[in-house]
Amino acid sequence: MQKLGEFKLPHFFNYPPYFTLQPVRDTREKQVQLWKELIIEYCRAQKVFIIGLEEDFPLFSNRAIERSLSHEARVAFLSALVSDGRAEWTDKGHKKCLILWHRIQEWADLIVHFVKENGLEDNVTTVEEIRSGTESRGTELYGIDRSVLMRALKLLEHKGKLVIFKGASTDDEGVKFSL
Amino acid sequence: MRRRPGIGGLQNAAAARDQYRLLGENVAKLRTDLMKEQLSTFRSQLEDFARKHKNDIRKNPAFRSQFHEMCAKVGVDPLASNKGFWAELLGIGDFYYELGVQIVDICLSTRAHNGGLISLEELCKLLGQRRKGAREAVSEDDCLRAISKLKVLGSGFEVISVGKRKLVRSVPTELNKDHNEILELAQAQGFVTVDEVQRRLSWPSGRATDALETLLDEGLAMIDDGDKDGRRRYWFPCVSSISSYAGADTS
Repeated sequence: MQKLGEFKLPHFFNYPPYFTLQPVRDTREKQVQLWKELIIEYCRAQKVFIIGLEEDFPLFSNRAIERSLSHEARVAFLSALVSDGRAEWTDKGHKKCLILWHRIQEWADLIVHFVKENGLEDNVTTVEEIRSGTESRGTELYGIDRSVLMRALKLLEHKGKLVIFKGASTDDEGVKFSL
Repeated sequence: MRRRPGIGGLQNAAAARDQYRLLGENVAKLRTDLMKEQLSTFRSQLEDFARKHKNDIRKNPAFRSQFHEMCAKVGVDPLASNKGFWAELLGIGDFYYELGVQIVDICLSTRAHNGGLISLEELCKLLGQRRKGAREAVSEDDCLRAISKLKVLGSGFEVISVGKRKLVRSVPTELNKDHNEILELAQAQGFVTVDEVQRRLSWPSGRATDALETLLDEGLAMIDDGDKDGRRRYWFPCVSSISSYAGADTS
């Protein structure tokens, strides 16, 4: 089975027609479904948050079979993810796409879990600590995209579970939990 | 019996004919009785054989296939009913029933990909993977038997031959001769182009595109516009194996 790094690629990735947008509706639906799942799983495994449509995203082409997805196909699959609430365009030109293999609410739940697991209920920590501190290593929060983290934190702040405040350094913020 | 002229002679000839006919009927009856007896002896010997070799029949697909042939010769169908001597002795009824269910399941789950047509080889391979833990190995012959039982239930399953391959059809789509020929052509590389179809089968262009478009609409074909020579390829998932895609290596 072909791999991209440690990631195991599904069989359809090696079948040339899947790289061409299918005209027949039922076949197209199946194709879109397969690509959506692949993109989400790959991004989850490799912790990819942003996909640039005009960049060399590894899933967009398969050198072994000499095929790559047309721009139209890339837009089609990512738009499908956007419709599912699993992705968001970051710009009007649809050049970059944020992949939410966890929805914002799911990230928020993970943060709450993290806080409880590490006994941080009444503590203060920084945003950077949450995404790159020693406690977050090995958890899904490690390496999380900063903007996604901020959105999840703001969601929790809105629910009164924490307070975000300006920290000592200008580019990091502090978080006080009150779960 | 000497021939005698006159009426007496004629009567004798008639009597002789009757006697011969009677003898003939008796001989025929004797032969039938003998055959019936032989058959019944053979049947009971077959039952003994089945009892003795129950495990081999269960575990060995080749042995099982030959056993079925023997049964067929004697007019015995171990799969005819789920009850009765054979089913109970061999538990074979359950085996094929179970196989049938798994086959239906596989066909349904691959339908979105191959349009409801799957090669027998691929089906058996997927069955083997699914049954990894099972005691009994499964052969193509077993698949065919299970499918023929499915047909009896009116499930719309059919085995069709395309070239030297067998395909299992699980949708009502009827394939006409043109479609069949295209599928056969596609077996070589897993795909065809319009040019290739026209050239190899000597068809006018309209005929080729019509047939290919129908196959596309039925979900049996997929288009591929990515080849460097710019020619559209029509791929047929049913003639390839899902786990061995890699360019032209689809044999």
